Parts: sequence; C-alpha cells; structure tokens
Amino acid sequence: MEVISQNAVYFAVVAVIMILLFAWAYFTKRIQKDFITMTWVLIPVAIAINLTIGQIVLVLKLPVYLDSIGTVLVGVICGPWAGALTGALSNIIAGIILDPGWFPWFPVAAAIGATAGVMANIGYFKNWWKVVVTGFVIAIVATVVGTPISIAIFGGISASGSSIITAFLLETGRSLVGAVLTTNFIAEPLDKIATSLLAFAIIDGLSARYLSRFPRGENAAVEKGQKQTQMIIALVVVVLLILFGIFILPSLTAG
Amino acid sequence: MNLNRSFFVPVNSPLHNLNPLTKLALVFSMILPAFLSLPQLAPFLAIPILIAVFIGRVQKQYFNLLLKLVLPTILFMFVMQSLFLPGGETVILNLGIFDVTRESMQSAFYTVSRIFVMISSFAILLLTTHPSELMSDLTRRGLPGQFAYVIISTLQILPQMQAKAQTIIAAQRSRGLDTESSFRKRIGSLVPLVGPLVFGSLVEVEERAIAIEARGFTSKRVKTSLHEIPDPAFDKILRGILVILVIASFTLNLWLS
Repeated sequence: MEVISQNAVYFAVVAVIMILLFAWAYFTKRIQKDFITMTWVLIPVAIAINLTIGQIVLVLKLPVYLDSIGTVLVGVICGPWAGALTGALSNIIAGIILDPGWFPWFPVAAAIGATAGVMANIGYFKNWWKVVVTGFVIAIVATVVGTPISIAIFGGISASGSSIITAFLLETGRSLVGAVLTTNFIAEPLDKIATSLLAFAIIDGLSARYLSRFPRGENAAVEKGQKQTQMIIALVVVVLLILFGIFILPSLTAG
Repeated sequence: MNLNRSFFVPVNSPLHNLNPLTKLALVFSMILPAFLSLPQLAPFLAIPILIAVFIGRVQKQYFNLLLKLVLPTILFMFVMQSLFLPGGETVILNLGIFDVTRESMQSAFYTVSRIFVMISSFAILLLTTHPSELMSDLTRRGLPGQFAYVIISTLQILPQMQAKAQTIIAAQRSRGLDTESSFRKRIGSLVPLVGPLVFGSLVEVEERAIAIEARGFTSKRVKTSLHEIPDPAFDKILRGILVILVIASFTLNLWLS
C-alpha cells in the first residue's frame, strides 16, 4: 500500500517535469523546427527498420536485441524530440502487432532516441570512438529509465533471459533496486554500443545530399581527420563511465 | 513471429460497435486502479475482463493469445519472483538454498495479476478495434494528423519490409551467406542482410515526402474524413461514468492511506 502510493507520487513528479520540458521546447519553437515533412516520413520507415532488424537478429540468434537502430538514426539526423517520438511510437506499434507487454517500456525507447539526439547535437556522432561513447551514454540512460519501470510494473524480475542475473544477484543479498540496476547495466552497453555503431555505419553510407534534407543532417557529417587529443579525451570518458558503472552505481543503491 | 497481422477480429458485437475512445477509456479505467490507485483489487479485475471477452465475442482468439503470450510470461515471473524476491519471514517451502516465503509469494501474485490485467485489457482493445479506426477517431478529436499517419503507414510498411527482408535473406543464402554456423560468421552476415534492406527503404523516403507534400500533408486546414465513426450518447455517458470511477478510486486510495 505504502509503496504503491509512493510510486504514484514519483509518477506524477516525472510527468510534470516532462510536461514542463515539452512546453519549454514547444513555445521556443525547438520542436516545430525539427518536425518537417521529411521527418514525419522517416519515422515510419525507422520504426519498420527497428522491428524488422529485431526479427533478423532473432533469426541469426545473436545475444543482442538491436531493436532501436532506427530510433538512434532519427535521433541523430532529425533531433532529440523526433528520436524520442520514434522510440515511443516504435514500442506502441510493437504492442499493437506483437505483444501488448511492449507498451510499458515506451519511456525507455523514447529516452534512447532523445539521448542519441542530444549526443549528436553536441557533436558525439561524428567518428567511431565518439559513437562508442554515445552508445555507452545511451546504455546508462536506458538503465536509469528502465529500472524503475522494471520494478514498479514487473516486480523487478520480468520474463527476459537477463532476469536470471537479477535472481542470482538477489540471492547474493543485494537489494532489489541494486540487483535490477546492475543487471541492466551488464546487459545494456553491448547492445546499445552495437546499435549506435550500426546506425553510424548506415549514416556513413548515406550521401551528403540526402542527409542535408533532414533538419539535423549536419550532425552526421563524418569527421575524416582524427585528432589525437580528441581520441584521448573520448577514451578517458569511456573509462570514467565504466568506473562509474562498476563502483558508483552499486554503492548508490547499496542501502 | 509474423509482423503481418494486427490482432483485430472482424465480427459484430456490442464491444466492436463502441466508439474507439470509449474502449481506450475502458482500458485505462482498468490499468490505473490496478497499478496506482487500488492495487489490492487487481486480481478481482479479471472478472470484468472475462465478461468483456464474452461480450466482444473474441473468446477463441483471446484464450489463444492468453496461452501463447500471457501465461508463459506470468507463470515464469510468478515462479522466479516467489523464489528470489527478498524479505518475508513465514517460510512456506524450502528448496535447498531457496526459501519461498508467504510475503514474496503474495507480492509475486499481485504483480502477476496486474500484468495480466494490463496485457488483457490492451489485448481486448486490439482484438475489437482496428488500429486505423482508433487513429482516425483520435485525429477527429484533435490529435495531430501526423501521428495517425505514422501509426497507419508503419502498419502498411511493415509487411512490405518483412517480405523484402525474407527476399534478401533467401537471396544472400543462395549466394552462400552463412546464417546458421559459428557466432563470428553470424555476426558477419548481419551487414549484407541489413545493408540492402535499410538503404533500399531509406531511398523511398524522399519520394514519399514529395508525394504526401503534394497532397497537403502540412496544410493547417481542417481535413474531412471519408469514414465517419459514430459516437452516440451512450458512449459519452459511459466515458463520463468511467472518469468518475477512476477519480473515485484515487480518492478512496487517499482516504485509506
């Protein structure tokens, strides 16, 4: 009883923050600038890419999902809001045709698209190691957004294979939040880095003329000359993020 | 899995004839109490769900869906959660190192029944409502038309793209592409499968943008609809009652806690 009313409070707080953010972006015309006809036409194709590649990966029996390549693609070349919309609608479509159990995960998919967009806006989608960093940041965001959903709606252990890890961590005496957070943090980075790299490979294969028709096409301009200092900074960022994941996340949730 | 189908079953029933928005309101009047306002009530919500299945005359498809999608999921979750969830003193069953406590079993039961309510109520909505009908009704009520475009055109593109994927898989296999042996070869075969599919469909985007632009896609004028969806007084009253019930459940929650 107590726990659920607490959830209702969190839910309301998050909803209010999202509405304020949306209103700010709407009234400063940041959203409208990104949603041109090309964006609206790209979104259905991107959703279809998400789901179809998800199916191909199932056929190939690879240990990843890769079901957000289209979402990352839209986030990069059409901006974070379009990416978030693509992710959310992608889960809604999957709920309509595959399994209604996909619906509650839509905030995770939206966060993936939005993060890809923000990272691309600050220039982190221009060469392969920056894309790896982006993939890592996306994985962290997906973990942070996905864990509360997993706990509040699915009780922490859902019907996916990675629940075995959660169960193991619970047996070793971790708290529920810590166990779910650690599980997601183990499972997500590989998938999201692979997703980002594939999206990067796709963007790399598209012509500059084609990309320039999208609102944020310049985000995808691939850097040819690779500077040493940038590479070192990017590597340090990755190492710091890994350290953050290994040491700080568990101790934050130890209690 | 087949991306070709939606769940919709075209039969005539009182539930099929309800306005789509009313059915959406019914779904949320099940989910909101089950998850937020009256979580203790979740197991009992199975009764209205079963009644709705029979009113909607979709029992065969619904129970089929239940067996294939819902039951495996919730059984797995129930067993895992009662085994592993921490906390609880009253040990019911002891299996070596695992203890099944009454508290963990209770919490697993409630979680699972909430999942059941959520998936079932969405399933009934999808079994009795065609997605494009729902979208055109929502568009008529002021949802931007672009959302309806995205949902409906995705549902149309998906089967085409899946057929294309099947063709590409078959074509690359006939050239000797390895999709079954070692892990490294299967990773390597991802690129020749994904590449043609993605670039082929992205090229069409530009043409489609020009085509829908020429048909007034971004026009701000109010568009008329070819297919009118009835919204009788009964639906409006029913929606009003549902809103009152949901608000009542939240006040009950505040009052109880």
